[in-house]
Amino acid sequence: MPDPAYVAQILVSGLGVGCIYGLIGIGFCVIYNASGIVNFAQGAFVMLGGMITHALVQRMGLPLLPAAVGAILLVAALGIVVERVVVRPLWVRNATMFAMILATLAAQIVIERATLILFGDQPKTLPAFTDLPPLRIAGVAISFQFLWIVGASAAIILGLAAFFARTRTGKAMRACAINREAAALQGIPVGTMLALSFALSAALGAVAGILITPTQYTAFNVGLPFAISGFIAAIVGGFGRPFGAFLGGLALGVAQAVAVFALDAGFKNIAALSVLLVFLFLRPQGILGAAK
Amino acid sequence: MTNLRITTSPDRVRALLRLLPGAIGIALVAYALLAGGYLISVVSFGLIYAIFVTGLNLFMGYTGQVSFGQNAFAAISGYASAILTATYGWEPLLATATGLAGALAVALVVGYPTLRLKGHYLAMATLAIGLIAYEVAVQWQSVTQGYMGISGVPPLGIAGFEITSERGNLLFLAAIAALGVTAAALIRHSRVGRAMAAIAGSEDAARALGIDVARYKLLAFLIAAVYAALAGSLFVHVVGFVSPEVFGLHMVNLAFTMLYVGGIGTVMGPLVGAVVIMLLPETFRAFKDYQDLAYGAALILLLIYAPRGLASLADLLRRRAGEGRRA
Repeated sequence: MPDPAYVAQILVSGLGVGCIYGLIGIGFCVIYNASGIVNFAQGAFVMLGGMITHALVQRMGLPLLPAAVGAILLVAALGIVVERVVVRPLWVRNATMFAMILATLAAQIVIERATLILFGDQPKTLPAFTDLPPLRIAGVAISFQFLWIVGASAAIILGLAAFFARTRTGKAMRACAINREAAALQGIPVGTMLALSFALSAALGAVAGILITPTQYTAFNVGLPFAISGFIAAIVGGFGRPFGAFLGGLALGVAQAVAVFALDAGFKNIAALSVLLVFLFLRPQGILGAAK
Repeated sequence: MTNLRITTSPDRVRALLRLLPGAIGIALVAYALLAGGYLISVVSFGLIYAIFVTGLNLFMGYTGQVSFGQNAFAAISGYASAILTATYGWEPLLATATGLAGALAVALVVGYPTLRLKGHYLAMATLAIGLIAYEVAVQWQSVTQGYMGISGVPPLGIAGFEITSERGNLLFLAAIAALGVTAAALIRHSRVGRAMAAIAGSEDAARALGIDVARYKLLAFLIAAVYAALAGSLFVHVVGFVSPEVFGLHMVNLAFTMLYVGGIGTVMGPLVGAVVIMLLPETFRAFKDYQDLAYGAALILLLIYAPRGLASLADLLRRRAGEGRRA
């Protein structure tokens, strides 16, 4: 029987990563709801969040907080660029779902390679947001970064809930999710909502990337595994339900932490991806059921 | 993706057009043989990729499915070839056969649950499979030597006779690629190929016609895996070296760009696309780092502006030749 404190430790680390998956999963849902598109370039936003923050801190000498805000804004702008340059032209041509997937995956590769050329292939990390030793509660070490991740995720979810429920723009985006044609007939600019959903989704990805970077590292090629994890989180939560996606992320993070703890750390990504596949094979309709 | 016009009464223009890519291919191989030097390796890589992309086209162009994970099968067979020959001193041919069998077995085990998925789910699951194969190649250092890769892989040959000259390699690869493309053409016009085309058109309609959709999808997946595995092993034996990067996302990017340049769903498209894409960067060799960037960008542009690739050029010629019949 394993030590209960050790089990709790695994749970904590799983929940931390799970929050990150959840945020990325929400990013998938936001775009999917506005357009029916699954954006395979989602991982690029996560990767760039960490990379740009690092570059702003290291090269421009900015403090962490303004650097993070700057990175989030830049990545959100890039989300709009991807929407305008890649997605919109296909969208207006009524391209097949597969063409859209392939084009966004190609966008992911282009962004990845551009990052490699600009920043090099060395892994980079960020300092912990709060440089204090971890808290010890009943033998379980809880790092301040974990608290940051959980706190920021909770704040974002509350903010999103308010945005979708209260604001005019948020309601317009929800209308698009329910029925795009009807929304357009009501005078909602569906095209603008698409661009907005990419900006919002990219920003969410960037936040996730910035939050997770101090606990591991970032490099030009970390995006894709995160994207796949976030996608599965969205599936587990029932695709198209942002808050389901977050719960899905938590479930996935814990499942992965358990799978990883049994294995060598080097095989972490393999175990993680395998857990995702098993989820996909067993419950493609999600645990909470699909939104539509 | 589902452009599957089967000509029943080929007139002279069509027949000539259909022969054109093959003729150009033969001319190119002959020219490379005469010219020698670097062109030989360029055309050789083009032919290896042509085999890979032909398999991809079978699964995606003919059957209308999605796979971003074919590089996994190239990696399995390629690594089996490298490890069995370089580390254990097996005959290259036996190692390649073992690699193919291994890739086929994995494709069977993985394909069964994966192919029950559709659309986005299928795309993401296959992407994960490719990524898992890459990660295993990186992490299983005791066997694969990680990022370092395995060098000193012997060339192909039987019982002491090795293909050591570059020209011999080129001829051998040309023969294999020709066989591969011919086999794909035969499959396409066979009972199996028609079942695949029906599935690409509509799964429900295919099922109504009595086609066992799941079985034919799996069959197409397995055939594509064999093509991918063969390409992987050939690559390793021709280059004499393997590393995870050979079979990484770069391969997926490159293969899809080739498929779309040549024209998805056409018999000759993969061959044409592979050779064109291999020849192009030779003019930009100074910008090697920018290759993936350029391929990715080119792929996006193709998807937007010319989703049928060079094949749409042939359409244009056909229309000019007075063939106004549209499907």
